[in-house]
Amino acid sequence: MIYDVRHVTTYGYSRQVPFARCIMRLLPRDGSGQSVQKSELSVMPRPAERSDAACFFGNRMTTVTITKPHRELKVEMRARLSVERSAPPHPGLTRGWEEVAALALASDSLAPASPTHHIYPSRLVPEVGAVVAYARTSFGKGRPVLEAASELMARIRHDFTYDPAATEVSTPLAEAFAQRHGVCQDFAHIMIAGLRGLGLPAAYVSGYIRTIPPPGQKRLEGADASHAWALLWCGPETGWVGLDPTNDLIVADDHIVTAIGRDYADVAPLDGVLIGPGSQKIGVAVDVIPVG
Amino acid sequence: MQGRIRSGRTKAERRAALLAGYRPLPGARDEFVDAEGAVRPHWEPFLQEWCALSQDELLQRFGLADRHVHDTGVSYRVHGDIDERDPSAGERPWPLSHVPLVIPGAEWQTIAAGVAQRAQLLSTLLDDIYGPGEIVAKDLLPAAVVSGSPDYLRPLHGAPGGGTLQLYAADLGRGPDGRWWVLQDRAQAPSGTGYALENRLALTRAFPDMFRSMNIERLAAFFQSFRAGLVARSKRIEPRICLLTPGPLNESYFEQAYLARYLGFLLVEGGDLLMREGRVHVRTIAGLKRADVIWRRIDGDFADPLELNAQSALGVAGLVEAVREGNVHIANGLGSGVVEARALMGFLPAVARQLLGEELILPNIATWWCGQRREREAVLDRLDEMSIAPAFRSAGGGLDTGPVLAGDLPASEREALRARIAARGMDYVGQEIVRLSTMPVFQNGRLEPHPMTLRVFAAATPDGWKVMPGGFCRISDEPDARAVSLRNGVRSSDVWVTADAPVEPLTLLPTPDRIAIRRITGTLPSRAADNLFWLGRYLERCEATLRLVRALLGRLIDSDPAPGRSGTVRRLGDLLVAWGSAQRGRSQSPATQAYSALYSLDDYGSAAASVREARRTASVIRERLSVDAWRLFGDLQSQLTPKEGRKPSEGEAYEIADRALKTLAAFSGLSQENMVRGAGWRFLDIGRRLERGVGTCRFARQFAENDASVDSLDALLDLTDSQITYRSRYLLGASLQPVLDLVMLDPYNPRSVAFQIERLEAEIADLPSLTEDGMLEAPRRLILRLAADCRTAEASRLDRTSILLFEQLLMGISSAIADRYFLQNSGPEGSRLTGIA
Repeated sequence: MIYDVRHVTTYGYSRQVPFARCIMRLLPRDGSGQSVQKSELSVMPRPAERSDAACFFGNRMTTVTITKPHRELKVEMRARLSVERSAPPHPGLTRGWEEVAALALASDSLAPASPTHHIYPSRLVPEVGAVVAYARTSFGKGRPVLEAASELMARIRHDFTYDPAATEVSTPLAEAFAQRHGVCQDFAHIMIAGLRGLGLPAAYVSGYIRTIPPPGQKRLEGADASHAWALLWCGPETGWVGLDPTNDLIVADDHIVTAIGRDYADVAPLDGVLIGPGSQKIGVAVDVIPVG
Repeated sequence: MQGRIRSGRTKAERRAALLAGYRPLPGARDEFVDAEGAVRPHWEPFLQEWCALSQDELLQRFGLADRHVHDTGVSYRVHGDIDERDPSAGERPWPLSHVPLVIPGAEWQTIAAGVAQRAQLLSTLLDDIYGPGEIVAKDLLPAAVVSGSPDYLRPLHGAPGGGTLQLYAADLGRGPDGRWWVLQDRAQAPSGTGYALENRLALTRAFPDMFRSMNIERLAAFFQSFRAGLVARSKRIEPRICLLTPGPLNESYFEQAYLARYLGFLLVEGGDLLMREGRVHVRTIAGLKRADVIWRRIDGDFADPLELNAQSALGVAGLVEAVREGNVHIANGLGSGVVEARALMGFLPAVARQLLGEELILPNIATWWCGQRREREAVLDRLDEMSIAPAFRSAGGGLDTGPVLAGDLPASEREALRARIAARGMDYVGQEIVRLSTMPVFQNGRLEPHPMTLRVFAAATPDGWKVMPGGFCRISDEPDARAVSLRNGVRSSDVWVTADAPVEPLTLLPTPDRIAIRRITGTLPSRAADNLFWLGRYLERCEATLRLVRALLGRLIDSDPAPGRSGTVRRLGDLLVAWGSAQRGRSQSPATQAYSALYSLDDYGSAAASVREARRTASVIRERLSVDAWRLFGDLQSQLTPKEGRKPSEGEAYEIADRALKTLAAFSGLSQENMVRGAGWRFLDIGRRLERGVGTCRFARQFAENDASVDSLDALLDLTDSQITYRSRYLLGASLQPVLDLVMLDPYNPRSVAFQIERLEAEIADLPSLTEDGMLEAPRRLILRLAADCRTAEASRLDRTSILLFEQLLMGISSAIADRYFLQNSGPEGSRLTGIA
């Protein structure tokens, strides 16, 4: 599947901002079943300094310094990419979850793709006892890891209400869990917290999901905005598998990966430090169009 | 012999009294006496010297040390003890124990070699973790021992100096068998070097001769090496070295300010630094100046809100990128904290063998990381005999409880802990319970044994690792030698390493032939300029309020009122209200208003509130103020704190205002006579002059109207301290135009507005300019115009409107200075880049 993605973010400030330094993780990464054919990121006003690099986890990272006083900052990302993932393994045939946890813990690699980076609490995914207890229900002794995780994903989808008004980026995980409300980001964090609490390596993915459903199918949650889900490491043979608790889906060709990290904080699409007091308004528009 | 006559006790009797009841704690080794209770030989010289002093003399010596501590304002802060409005409020005086820890030179050799070896080991390990990662790949260290640390900062991977260790500290304890053990590694941003230095200075004050007679190793050479190590990291020969502090609310801010002054580094907060074009700059009054080396005292994770912890307000946006580009050296490298993890300790002997080909000289306490099955089972089997600690510093989330002695927990908690270790063992370590050695503390006229730990420092220098011959000794108040943390109720003490031969004295002063003469002291960061400016303004505001209070009370207690007195009293009260020093209202008598103007912390314009603000601004630039100046704040604050119980009489309140004015005069005297006329002094003085000019204009508008009574004009002369001058010039009583001329326009009267304007003109002319086009900058332009207006003005034409105009122009200059020199405004595009150095 080939997609055209356009993601426009606009910040409006109540007062003139004379200086801003921003970091953007908006350009999609290659690999894990997708290849980026072309991509560009434009920033208005034009930055005085700009550098493009890859972060530790291999995500693309653009840093800009804007020295022109401005009241609006507009960031536009356009990309064309093809997505062709290999079929996910049969959940019942994956390794037992305890074995996967033990293998991850014994890892002898600090390379970016190593599961070792994803078994501990992280900034936005602390260990929350209630979440781990919730997850544990699905993890009976010796159960295949993907089977158990798929059940956890289905339970989150069932027990939680998708509600964009319920939470903000800053809502702590424990609070979203207690309320049983949230958006894709909260669900991904909760799923990750549950898996990590059991010692399983779970990562956070930011990206998109196709906006227009194939004929006869219903529209997926999280379209028209950036999306988020979890990755679970299922052992050295299977590697990482995407699990989308917002839609109760094992990730296939409907998902486009932008960045992978331990949680939202590692992959925040746009982060900045500006000089100048005042409030800001954010507008986001996302189009994901399948072109063949 | 003299001591004997005075005290009436012999040396032997004193010795017996000091040692009376001194018994080592059960199962613990004592530093001072052996198992039989005999004083260890290396303590003898010290004990001899002490016994030569009578109890009175001894207490007098302690007094000297304590006074040194008090006078330098050595303080520390307890976590959570914070008042935002007054950062210096939660500071505690430094609890110094007067008995040093004495360590013989031969024994020290082993400690120093062990600490240097460990510094080298951790340094090599850090280079590998942030570089090739071979130690993990070779299975000497599980990856999870690294990846679990919140101080493993992935963005620093592959960056030059990402984890470079510059200053390392080891917390040591001595076990019952006499061996020293490493309890904890400190590689993030070790504190304590400054406190060690302070302890040394305090005890030198008390026992100067002992340092000579006992051949005690000096500390200055260590600091010289440490500084040389930092200089060597820079590409420039004379690098600008900054000490990056979390700010005055940090528990060891005093130490940071102290070290910055001692080592000659620029004390900066994150907001003082700016990343431009791949380099880090200090924002100074002369534009952006390059920072070459940053000695950080903030955790690495807080150093860059863009690539590290976004919640941090302490760091510099883009710092990680500057590190990656190799344009700034940060000490310790931002990621260095990763090797502090307790999880690591159990692996170090094997890693040392592999990396250094050596056995550890100093063992660490036996540690089992529960992320490995065998170790986990061993810990669970012997849970009751173990200290259980988090394997890593907690990433936040409230789980970090610190070490616990599992055997001391109630059964239910112990079982819960057991279950957590079984489920996620990688988050825990089991450690052998250490029984710390004890050392003497002087209490109730004799010595008592208390458990202690010793922090030893090592600095990376061009000639290898240098270990400070001494350290930071912390003493517990609890008799329990198993105490796992010494945070609560600790005293600290100096550490004396004795040499066999006399020790050459050395200070940080360089040899005269190597130093180039210099008359300008560094660059002034914009934030420091801002704070000095406001310090000047608050002090002057306080002075003006006190003068108003004194004038008001003087009139209330005067038994022979002049005509127009009640009108003057009302006006004085009105002005206090207008300044926010007092409230208006029927219940507010003039005397009540005067009291609140003196004391009330709720009225922002009161003298007490101004002192509080002055002290707050001063606390941020403490390294720039002399000890004497700092002490005056304490005096002022206690003068302006109401005494318990009853309200002072009007006469007493008058005295209080009068005394506080004298203290302020002492501060002015200090700043006039003792501060170098650099940019710092200039901003302090500009602040004072502006505030005084504005205040005097207000006084004049209030008390010198066209129909002003003689009493009202007298009040104006009182407020501007110009009575004597007036009387010496004019034989008649106060009359409008001569008073106005003296108070507003006479450039020879140091309290007049004209005098302030002349000083401002001179000082603003000396401030650095950023423009290269020869045009005047705004502050200069405005002051020149005001000065011309003032010189050409005539008293007969002055009225409320023209005085108000002067006042407004002065306020305009204040804003222009803030816009140009301080941080809150960054100015139009490009204007900051011209100053890049």
